[in-house]
Amino acid sequence: MRRPDTTLDPLVAEELERLDAALAGSADADPGLEALVRDVRAEAPEMTPAFRGALDDRVRAGFPRARRFAWRPSRTLLVPALGAAATLLIAVAVIGLAGGGGGPGGSGGTGKASSSAGTVSGAAPGAASAAPPVTRESAVPQKSAPVAPPLPLTGGASGRQVERAAQLTLTSAPADVQDVADGVIRTAGALGGYVETSQISSSDQGGGASLRLRVPSARLDDAIARLSELAHVGSLTRASTDITAPVVSATSRLGDARAERDALLRALGKATTDREIASLRERLRLNRSQIAALEGELAGLRRRANMATVDVTVEGTGPKAGAGTGGAWTPKDALHDALRVLEVAAGVTLVACAVLVPLALLAALGALAARGLRRRRRDAALDAA
Amino acid sequence: MGETLSMALRATDTAGPRFEALYRSCAEDVFAYVFSLLRDRSAAEDVTAAAFERAFRKRRSFNALRGSERAWLFGIARNAALDELRRRRRSAGLVTDPEDPAWALATAEDQDAERRATVRQALAGLDARDRELIALKFHAGLGNAEIASVIGVSPTNAGTRIHRALTRLREACHATS
Repeated sequence: MRRPDTTLDPLVAEELERLDAALAGSADADPGLEALVRDVRAEAPEMTPAFRGALDDRVRAGFPRARRFAWRPSRTLLVPALGAAATLLIAVAVIGLAGGGGGPGGSGGTGKASSSAGTVSGAAPGAASAAPPVTRESAVPQKSAPVAPPLPLTGGASGRQVERAAQLTLTSAPADVQDVADGVIRTAGALGGYVETSQISSSDQGGGASLRLRVPSARLDDAIARLSELAHVGSLTRASTDITAPVVSATSRLGDARAERDALLRALGKATTDREIASLRERLRLNRSQIAALEGELAGLRRRANMATVDVTVEGTGPKAGAGTGGAWTPKDALHDALRVLEVAAGVTLVACAVLVPLALLAALGALAARGLRRRRRDAALDAA
Repeated sequence: MGETLSMALRATDTAGPRFEALYRSCAEDVFAYVFSLLRDRSAAEDVTAAAFERAFRKRRSFNALRGSERAWLFGIARNAALDELRRRRRSAGLVTDPEDPAWALATAEDQDAERRATVRQALAGLDARDRELIALKFHAGLGNAEIASVIGVSPTNAGTRIHRALTRLREACHATS
């Protein structure tokens, strides 16, 4: 560390002033110093004419350099170029990570579809014995993405009874929640279904709607496709439950009950005593109740197989309807996009700074240390000379 | 801002002619200074040429706020000369010329040969740091602040060092005579 400046000793300052006067050739200069200056200057080594001439030529020519390489970037170009390359790399990495994260709310952003499928066991309502297989599929598709293919478990030709259900989350602008909910209701009606329950709330901050639809199972895929057109699809889950066993069981028990009724009616026709007739009538009454209950159970099971359940949730937290959902691109959208670009640029710059500033500090420290070391070595060389 | 930019542009436009003018006014002084440090004519010529070339390449980086052009040029020459001394230390093969024939011939013809021989001996007896300061002060004609800038110390420190070097030179002259 350099010591702080102190004032020059007055005697030393005076002596230096005398020396400066002698060097300047002042009339009142010290004669002794004048003689010393003259003698020392006379001892000054001079260039030889040949060397002077050669150096003059080189200066006039601008010190031409033999070109060893076609292009040799200077440090002043290389450092910014390397910095720009590093920033670009970081920007690409950040954008790549941001894209992979699939953050919500990006206007016109392409949400990455992720899906998982599996089979879980669960007790179906009314199941008598074996637990029916339940197949589940989840997906977060883009609005315009094709709807997932139908599930493998179907009724009809195979004779199996399958209950189908889906949960769909739609994201819309807060102001569009009501419109989207209306669209959901219209879609259910258009497909021959109905709204089982609905709850709609709207506010400036967000709002939302929750609807349970029943649509014909055969038109479930069509329903999901149409509902997906209404707003951005936040998530989609589909499930299938095989209810063949409960249906078969209920049908069998109903058949037994009807056969028992026939037998009771036949017995009633042959009954002769009042007591016997009263007993048979009581059994017939119980049998009718049993048949009615079994018919109700069977009808419920068939309704579950014929009408799929679609739970639709509309969240009013998404972007405006016009932004990236096919509406006209307005100056407001342009402003939104511009702000988004600035946000991303600021983020990239921040990350780049977080990487480059410490590197620059380290480089500056290294340069300072190298400079100090070089200076010390040069001084050592002078001391040793 | 605009004035700084125009100054920079003017400096860029006139860098070539200004460098030639600097070269013409300083070439002999730089050579004398480098020779004082190296005490080897051949090496002094190489280093002087290298110093001017280095200064030419870096002429646009000169900043008037950090000192005069002469101080800047002598700083470059000093670094080049000290790098040469370091190279010599590493190679340790080259021995400096003890005496320059042309230099001796020139001084022999002088009328005050004896007195100058005394000064020459006194200069040769000084250590490298004192020799450097004498060369910068007497040959190059730099001011104390400029010398401070060249050798990288404060002006006060430079003044003190110059005074010590001058005192040692005078003592050496008296001792020799």
